[in-house]
This record gives sequence, structure tokens and C-alpha cells, in this order.
Amino acid sequence: MISRIVLTTGLLLVLIGLWGMLTHRNILRIIIGFSLMGTGTHIVIVAIGYVANGTAPIIDRALSVSEAISRAVDPVPSALAVTAIVIGMAVTAVMLAYAIRLYESKKTLSIDAFTESKW
Amino acid sequence: MIRRHSIIVAIVSLGLVFASLVIGYTEQQAARPLAESYIRLVPQELGAPNVITGILLTYRAFDTLGEIAVLFMVAASVGLVLGREGPPRGVPSEDRPGEARPSSEIVQTGTQILVPLISIFAAYIIMNGHLTAGGGFQGGAVIASGILLVLLAYPQYQPNLEFLGITESVAGALFVLAGIAGLIVADGFLDNRILPLGQFGAFFSAGAIPVLSALLGIKVGCELSVILERFRP
Amino acid sequence: MVESLLHPLNIFIVGLAGGFLIPLFYRLGKSWTAAAFVLALAAMTVISGYGLFVLLNGTAPIEILTGGAKPPYAINLRMGLAESIFAFSVNLVALFGAAYVVRERYGTLLLYLLLVMGIQGMVMTRDLFNLFVFLEIVSIATYGLLGLRDTPASLSATFKFLMATVLASTFFLIGTLLLYAVTGILNIDELIAKRASITGPIGFAALIFLLACLLLELKPFPANGWGLDVYETARCDVAAMISGGVSAGVFFALLKLLPLFEDQLELIAGLGAMTFVFSNLIGLQQTNAQRLLGYSSIGQVGLLTIAVPLLYRLNADNAMFLVVGGLFINHLFAKVGLFWLAGYVGRERLQDWAVLARRPGAILTFGILIVAISGLPPFPGFWAKWQLVMSLAVGDLHVWIAIVLVGSLLEAAYMFRWFSLALNSPAEADGVPADLFPIFGMALLLVISGYIAGKLAGLAALWAYMPLAAGLVLHMLARLPSRMQCLIVLVLVTVGGSQLILELSGISLLFAMLLLAGGLVVSIACLARTDHRSGFYPLLAVMLLSLPALPRATTSLEFIFVWELITLSSYFLILRRTEAAAHALQYLLFSLAAAFFLLCAFAVLHTQTGSVSLSALRAAGPDSAPVFVLLAIGLLIKAGAIGVHVWLPGAYAEADDDVSALLSAVISKVSIYGLLVGTYVAIRSDVSLNLALVVGWIGMLTTLAGAMLAARQDDLKRMLAYSSMSQLGYIVAAIALMSHLGWVTALYLAANHLLVKGILFLVAAAIILRTGKRSIVELGGLAGVMPVTFTTAAIAIVAMSGLPPLAGFGGKWLLLSAMMEKGWYGPALMTLLATFVGFIYMARFIQAIFLGPRRATHDALTEAPIPLLTPQILLIAGIFLMSFFPKLLITPLSNAIDPQFASTLVWQGMSLEMIYGYWNPVPVMALAVIASTILFGLFWLLQQSGWWATIANVEIGGTRPSLYKGFRAVFTTLTPPWAGALWGGLTEATTTSAERIRILYTGNGQTYNLYILYYFLALYAAAGVRHLWVAVN
Repeated sequence: MISRIVLTTGLLLVLIGLWGMLTHRNILRIIIGFSLMGTGTHIVIVAIGYVANGTAPIIDRALSVSEAISRAVDPVPSALAVTAIVIGMAVTAVMLAYAIRLYESKKTLSIDAFTESKW
Repeated sequence: MIRRHSIIVAIVSLGLVFASLVIGYTEQQAARPLAESYIRLVPQELGAPNVITGILLTYRAFDTLGEIAVLFMVAASVGLVLGREGPPRGVPSEDRPGEARPSSEIVQTGTQILVPLISIFAAYIIMNGHLTAGGGFQGGAVIASGILLVLLAYPQYQPNLEFLGITESVAGALFVLAGIAGLIVADGFLDNRILPLGQFGAFFSAGAIPVLSALLGIKVGCELSVILERFRP
Repeated sequence: MVESLLHPLNIFIVGLAGGFLIPLFYRLGKSWTAAAFVLALAAMTVISGYGLFVLLNGTAPIEILTGGAKPPYAINLRMGLAESIFAFSVNLVALFGAAYVVRERYGTLLLYLLLVMGIQGMVMTRDLFNLFVFLEIVSIATYGLLGLRDTPASLSATFKFLMATVLASTFFLIGTLLLYAVTGILNIDELIAKRASITGPIGFAALIFLLACLLLELKPFPANGWGLDVYETARCDVAAMISGGVSAGVFFALLKLLPLFEDQLELIAGLGAMTFVFSNLIGLQQTNAQRLLGYSSIGQVGLLTIAVPLLYRLNADNAMFLVVGGLFINHLFAKVGLFWLAGYVGRERLQDWAVLARRPGAILTFGILIVAISGLPPFPGFWAKWQLVMSLAVGDLHVWIAIVLVGSLLEAAYMFRWFSLALNSPAEADGVPADLFPIFGMALLLVISGYIAGKLAGLAALWAYMPLAAGLVLHMLARLPSRMQCLIVLVLVTVGGSQLILELSGISLLFAMLLLAGGLVVSIACLARTDHRSGFYPLLAVMLLSLPALPRATTSLEFIFVWELITLSSYFLILRRTEAAAHALQYLLFSLAAAFFLLCAFAVLHTQTGSVSLSALRAAGPDSAPVFVLLAIGLLIKAGAIGVHVWLPGAYAEADDDVSALLSAVISKVSIYGLLVGTYVAIRSDVSLNLALVVGWIGMLTTLAGAMLAARQDDLKRMLAYSSMSQLGYIVAAIALMSHLGWVTALYLAANHLLVKGILFLVAAAIILRTGKRSIVELGGLAGVMPVTFTTAAIAIVAMSGLPPLAGFGGKWLLLSAMMEKGWYGPALMTLLATFVGFIYMARFIQAIFLGPRRATHDALTEAPIPLLTPQILLIAGIFLMSFFPKLLITPLSNAIDPQFASTLVWQGMSLEMIYGYWNPVPVMALAVIASTILFGLFWLLQQSGWWATIANVEIGGTRPSLYKGFRAVFTTLTPPWAGALWGGLTEATTTSAERIRILYTGNGQTYNLYILYYFLALYAAAGVRHLWVAVN
């Protein structure tokens, strides 16, 4: 049940990010839209890894291996989430770098100003 | 107006697709076979209690290596794009906010107190990655947060980019070298069993995972710091 | 030890370690960085090359394991044959391309290195999430490299590119995770094995998300404005890597995951088709070089996207290898070369590429790249397209064949137009001579891979390459004096040509001899020019040797190969005169269209008979009518039949004068040979008779229209060009008779036309050389100053007109006999009519040029030079031989023709006896003369009475009109320019639609993202509808 809520939240966040990305003219806001979308995706990843009544997949005195198999959340999506987050951050950094250059080139951040090439 | 409507239609349609996902979703009642294998294998074969770290630094270490490459490339890309690799561009001084106004004493004092703590915390996260929640990436990010704090508090502070660059290069190369060692000593590229597995749950255990974790932490910390530095006006 | 050093895992170790260490090397010094960089690239090339070598020797695919565990626990990669080919070719390109970046800052070097490694990761990885990581490595390296150019336009374009690709890769991430949610698997092999378990809304959405990302990364129409912008504005070498390298990685990912998309194969192919056709359509309107290359890149990838799913559906594994490998390698080398060339030229607008005009090396390379990218021989794209069409025909996917060929034609149109612009109006060559070496490298790689692909496609015969080898020899001798080169060509062609025809017999032998001897004799005229004709002689050698090679072809592949060689070499020969550029392009496009029809015909034949041998034409069954129709359409286009003749006058008239003679006299016979070969099939199929009659009528209409058009012309060469069209019409009609007599006639007429038109075009060459005039009305009375030329022209005219005693008479007579024999009274009547019209323009030719008053300025003219007269005299000797010893030709002709026309033919002096009946030439002759007289008189009466002036609405005025003016008015009325209007309208409609469609590309990055979203939604809906459809049924 709980993971369904998380999943819904993640997907909603993706939609909100997309909405922001498509409606806002300001490049920084567009980048924020992308970040929201990325975060939504990460939440979806986590939701997918959830196992009913799960706990962290760390084997110690509190959680034996046999117990973990029935009770630990899926470690794979968690591992993937780490990678996905790093990559998301990387992409955001590049976008911001370009946003700076775009601003320097035209002194504006409106996406509508950057339509040099067409047809 | 047409544009706005078409955006609405697109988002709503995508929402319907997503709705079908939510409706079709059933919560997992037990671990999937692959996950189950990992939960068995990581403690047993790799000697690491934290299954996720085990996956990240051995079974999917190739991904991790790729991620380091991504971060490394971002640092280079941002450098290329913002043109900060060579001598700094001639930016008029009035365009540089912060040069005129140093941050307040509160921030500076807070930074002085916090940065050592942050560093220790980062080291803890990095070094205990194989035992408990944490790992190189997380710790590296914490390191970078410390650097960010320093940059905010002391706008004039110039981190030693050369040092950071060499460190990240060496850490990356060592990571690859550890991978090659796996080829020679253990069962394959990036195998963690190049060092003894040690006692399960001990600090020095899980083969090369703590070492890799440390390298990763150092590298990520350096890279994030370099990226932050490049973004400074 | 060597084995482990050359293990493909080391590609990644070298790439990553090299990338990480480059900053350290930088501290040591710039040359260290460069050395390490090049060394790393070279190491990757060697490793992948070794992998390719090992795999070609039949080793099992090389597994690359990581993490000390087996898949699916740990990530694994694999280098199979396909992977090694992709990796090796990308590495090669990257190594050559290193020349452009090696002097850059170290950040660029490490991004470049990691980009190349990332592409190979995408190719080799067998883990879905790892594929995502490599996709991101590639993307981020691209983002960084795009920053190398920081004009406002390129910054904007890069940001659009960033937004679009980030959105697409988010789709990939979502898809991967949803797939994991459904199956619990990330390993690609396992996912494919458990394809059936990917069900439910999540499984479906997962697949669509993945597919959408892969397709979007390949820049599909219409959601690809961002890709085009980047191609347009990026630095050329970066654009080259995106077009060749990055696309290769993404495409291979699609190839790898294709088994997952088994339900969407047609959808993928359809989207590929949309991209292929529309990109090439819009490309027609493009004036910016790099953006044009962008359209072409996107189109090429679209073609791959058509081919792969369809071949997968057909289980055509062998074909898949050649098609995908050929198309990919062709695109990679040619497009990368072109992008680099764009960097070398440094001009945005296509017109400005004329700076290349004075650089033979660059032009040669440009030509090779253009020919390759258009999918023409001898480059890999040609073989791949051949194989693709053959395979699609086997699967009865005819619509797809049409799409592939239409798109290819559009692409050839803008590519070759671009090439002619580069030759046009040679501007000052002021560009900085940058490094051409890597571009040469690409051209060389294309040649090598083309040879290999040809072998794979089944062209093992070395003789097929003889024309190209001769061209190469001549190219190396380009420094020699012009006449020396010409002599070498003649010697080379004589020797090589006789080698080619040594083993031939029957019709093939006759035609080969005809083409070889005709080509050689007419080419003697080239000795008349002493100026340095850059590139002329290599092309001449290729063409002259291709001509006798055509009858040598025994398979349809060889036939098309040689056919295209003739087309290309003659196109480039025509193009040598800059005024001819537009006509040359027309010539090429119609020729290509003709070749495509032939290709389709052979593909259908292959499907029906399972053979690619030309002898299958004789074995065709009654259902092979489509084969004949396709062949006939193609060959009629090439022969310049009425309606599709629009290319002919311009090409013949605007080429160099000696080239015109070759075109009209010799090359035009190529289509006749094809028609003869192709007609075998018609004899076997049951609907043949009606079709043959149609072809016969087309032939006769062509003859009549050609004659009337010729009669209207004032331009010397155009008149001869239309006359050619007219004469070819006779030959076509004769072939269509499909009787023994008809074929003897056709061959006889063909030989006669070769001799006659060779002479007449050389006469024209002589007149233009001496007077500098082409308009008949400006000439006159030249018989006095150029008596030899006048004599040869007069003899040729008599021989052509069909007056006794020369060969033309025999030809006409044979034709009429054959038509009467078949009961073709309509065409026979047309023959008489056309003969009459022919008399008019031929009389005018002699009268206006050689007789009448001479202009004072022409009094001092001298006779034509010896090199122009020699071939004429030789040809006249041929005419006399044919006229007075017809048995010499007719007997072998009769024997050569397939014995299935069971009849014999005896030629006795001037009379002809056949077993079908007895025909006396005298009545026929008399009939012809009487008919002509009646028509002539009738017209004279009409004109005298002034009726015609009113009917034809011609202002004759108070002066007494000359007879010719009246005729001219009639012919003008009878030959309305419908064909020109039709083709002009088609061109207009094409360009207009291209102009309309490209409005889609607004330039706004946000809009492009909306397109991407809609692209996904459309994909989801289309796949969903299909899914439901299958579920319901």
C-alpha cells in the first residue's frame, strides 16, 4: 500500500516537472522542471524496490540473512537510485553551466530568445 | 493559447498512462529472485553486511565506474563550457558579487565550527559504507557540502584546483587499478576479493570494498568541489 | 598474454584510465597529453580490430565479465561479430578524427576519449541499466564537446539538444525500472529469454518508454528539430562524431533490444520510413551545408530503422548482416568525411562550396563521399541497398521497397545538386588548406569496405572492377599531357575491353563489340582538345570500359553494378561543363530512377525464381509480367521515351561536344541492350503480347514526337539530341515486336544509329569548334569551307533518313516488314509519318548549315581538325560496310538471336527473303516515297490556302512564309510541352511540400520538448491500438 502512494507521488512529481518545463519560459525554471522530473523518477525507483513491511537490506544482529530475504527491501533499485541521482545531478550541472553561457550571450533567460536555427 | 491547450492535453494523456501504471502496480510481497540472490550472496561471497554497497562496489561496480566517469566528465564539461580551464576570463570586477561584500561573522564562525564536523561525518559515512547505510557517493557529497559552505563563507577563498584535479585523477586511476588487480588476483575485473574478506561486520572487512569506497568518496568529493568552484562567478 | 592484453575489456580500462590520467599527463606537458590520448585511441582500435579478426575466424563471441561473478548478478558485456564491427569502425573514425582535436585543451581530449569508450560500451553491454549509464556517458561527453563552439546559435542549439536528450534518457530510466518492476531482471539476454513475462500495463509502458528513448535519440521526424540545430551549429568534427559515433551506439542499442519489441516491429519500421522520406524531402530545400548533412544523417539512420525491424521480422539473418553492416559503415565513413569536409571548406552556404572547384584532390574526395552517401557503387551502401531490396521482395514488402527507393532518390537529388554547386563558377580558392588527410582516410575506408561488402553481396568477379582500376591508373597519370592521356585511355580500353569480351558469345558479344568499338572510335575525337581536362580521362576510361562490361554481366547484381558505373561516369562527364549542371542532375535522377525500376524488376524475378542470374529471365514463368513491366519502365526512362524524355535534350546538348557524341551514339545503346535482355522475360509470360504492343506504340510515339521536336529546334546539338530520341524510338518499337525479324531490325538500327549519330555529333563538334555558334540560323554555306565535314554529314544524313542505298534504308525496310508481319499497321503508319518528319529536319540540317549563303565572317574558316575527322571517316567506313555487305552483320545477328524465334532470314543483295512471306523492297520503297510526297503536297496546299495559319494560330504576316516556318508551327502545336509541365509540376509540388513541412521546426526548444512528449504519446497509442487489436482477435 505504502509503495503505491510513493509511486503515485513520484509519478505526480514527474508530471509537475514536465508541466513546469513546458510552460515556464525562464530557463532556470525549466531546469528546475527537469530536476523535479528527475527526483520524481528517483522516487518511482524507490517505490519499485519496496517490499511489503520492508526494512533496509543491511545484515546485522537485527536482521539475519534468512530474515532479510522475506523482510528486506529490494537492494537493486536502491543501488540503481544512487547511480541515477548522481547522473541527474551531473546533467543539472551541465544545464546550469549552459544557462550561464546563454545568459552571457543574450542577457536574457527566456527560452523564446534562443531560436536561431530553424527549418 | 493553442500551445497551452496542447500542453494540457499532453500532460493529461501522460497522466493517464501513469494512472495505468499505478493501477497495474502490485506491491512486492517478498524479494524478487535476483534480490534474494543478492541478499544471500553479498554477505556470503563479498563479506559486506550492506547489500546495496556490495552491489554498487562489486557486482555493479562497472556502473559505478561509469558514474565516476560521468562526474569526471561533468567537471571537464563545465570547465569547457564556462571556459575556466585556462586563465580566468576578463570579467569586470563589478560583475563579481561577493568580492565587495564578505559574508557575516556568524556565517564565518559557523563554518569554522561546522566544517571539521562535516569532514568527520563524511569520513564516517565513507568508511562505514560496507557496514551500514552510507558509502562513497554519499560521503563525497557531504564533503562537497563542506566545501560549499567554505565557498559561501569565504568568497575570496580559492581552493587548490590543481591539488583537487590531481587527487581526483589519482583516485580514479587507483579505482581502475583495483579493478585490474581483481583480474589478476581474484575472479575478474572489479572483484573486491583482492584483499582478505576479514571478519564479517568488522571495520576492516569485505575485501577491497572499504578501499574502493574511500577512493570513491575522495574522487566524488573532489569532483563536486571542482564543479562548485567552476560555477563561481 | 597477448590474448589477455587484447581482450575487449581493455577497451574500457584504457578508456577510463586514459581519461582519468589525462589531467595528470597535462601536468607533464602538452605533448604528453597528446601522445597519451592518441595512444589510448590507437590501443582501443587495435583491441577492437583484433577482436574483429578473431571473430571473423569463427571464434565464439567474447564474453566480458565484471565483478568476479557471472551474469545476471554482475554486469557483463559481449563482443560478437556485429559488436566488433561497430566498435572497430567507430574507433577507426575516432582515430582519424583525433587529428582535429589533438591540439585542443586536455578537457576536450578526455571528453573525446570517454565519448569513444562510451559508444563502445553502449554497443557491448548486456545490462539494461549499464546501457543507461553508457548512454549518459556519451550524452555528457557530447554536451561538453558541443561547448567547443560558443556562438550564440550553437549555445542555443546545444541547450535544445540537452533538454531533448535529457527528456529522452529519463524515458529510458523509467522504462528500465518499470521493466525491472515487472520481471526483476536487468540482464538483456535474460529479458529477451523471458520476453513473454513482460505483460500488463506496466510491462507495456516499460517497453514503450524504452523504445521511445531509443527512437528519440536517433532523432526521428518530426521530433528532431533539436538534433538538426546541433548538426547545423556544432563544430564540424563534433557534429561528425554525433552523426556517426553516437548514432551508432544508440542504433546498436536498438538492434540489441529489438527482440523485446517484437510486437512493434512494423511500427518501428513505419516511423523509420517517415523519418527517411521526410528528412530527405526537407533536405531538398536546405541551403546550409551542415544542416543539409544533418537531414541526411537523420535520413540514413531512418533507413537503418526501416531495414532492421523488417529484416528481423523476415528472419533474414544473413541479409541483416550485410544490410546493417553496409548501411552503417557507409553512413559512418561517408557522413563523417562530409562533416570534416564541411569543416575544411568552412562555408555555411552550399553555393560557397565553389571554393573547392580548383582543388582536384578535395573534389575527388567530395565526389567519392557524395556517391557513397547516395548508395551508389562501388561503396558499401550500394550493396546493402541491393540486399535490402532483394530481401524485402522475398517478404512481399513492396511498399517498403518503394519507400526506400523514393527516399534514396530524394537524397541523391540534394547531394548531387550540392556537388554540382561545388564545381560551379570556380571562385577564388582562398580557404586555408586545413588537414585533408583524415577525409582522404574516410574515402579510402569507403573504397575498402565497399570492396568487402561487394564480395559479401556476391560480386566475386574481379572484371567488374576493371573500369574502376583503369580510372585509378588514369587518375595517377593526370600530370601527363592531355593527348598522351587520351592515347593511354584508348590503348587501355582496347586491351581491357578485348579481355572483357573474350568469353562472350551471341547477342552479348555483338553488343559488347558494338559498344567497345563505337566508344573507342568516337573517343578518338577527344584528341582534338589539348587543354588540361582535369578528371576527364579517368572518367572516360571508367565509362568506356564499363560499356563492354555490361554485356559481360551474368547476374542481376553485376548488371546493376555496371549499369550504375556507366550512369555515374557519364553523369560526371556531362557535369564537367558547368553550364550543364542542371541537365546533368536531371540526367542522373532519371537514370537512377530507371536503375531503381530495374532493381525492383530483378528483386521480383529473384523472388519468383530464387535466382539472381540473368538467365533466370529466360526461365521466368507466366506470372512474371510485373518483371517485364518494371524492366520496360526502367529501360524506357533510360532510353528517353516520350513523357520521360525531358532529361535527354539538355544532357545531350549541354555536355562537352565529344561527350555528347559518346552519349548519343554509344551510351544510349545501353538501354537498348537492357531492353533486349529484358524482353526475354516478356516472351515467357502470358500477358506479354499486349504489353509489347504498348511498348511498341510508346516507341513509335517517341519517334514521331522526337522527330517533330527536332524539326522545331534551331540549336544544332538539341536538334541532334531530339533526333536521337526519335531514332531510339524506332529501335524500341523494333524490340517490342518480339519476333526474330524485329530483333534483327533492332540490332541493325542500333548499329546504324551508333554510326550515324556518332558522325553527326562530331560534325556538330567541328562546326562549334570552328564557328563558335550553335544556332542553325546563324550558320550557312559551310560546305565550301569545310568540304570533308559536309561530305560526312551528308552521308550520315542519307544513312539516317532511310534513303537508299545506305544502311538506313535497309533498317527502315526491315522495320516495316517486321511490323507488317506482326500486323502492326498503326505503328507502321507512324513509321512512315515519322520518316517524313525526319526528312524535314534532316534536310534542314544540311540546308541551313552547309548550303545557302555563307556569312562573311565564316569565309576564313578551315576544315575540322584531323582528330575530329578520323572517327567520322572510320564511322563512314562502317556505314558503307553495313550498307553494301549487310550479310556481315545480319548473319551473326540472326544467329545470335535466341533460337526460340524459329525462323531464318536470308539477305540477298538488296532484297530480303523470309520464310514467312516474300517482300519486295521496291513497292515498300515506292510506298514510302509516295506517302511522303502526298503528305508534303497536302501540307503545301494547306499552307497556300492559309487554313493552317488560322488553325495553328500562327502569324505568318504579309511576307510569303517559308515552308519550314509552316511546318514548325504545326510541330509546335502537335508537341505541347506536357512532359516538361508534368515533371516541372512534380518538382514544384515536392519543393513546396518540403517548404510547408519544415515550418514544423520553429527553433523553440520548449516546443521541441512538447513534440517529444507527443511522440511518446503517439507511440504509446499506436502500439496500444495494435495490442488491443491482437487481444480482440
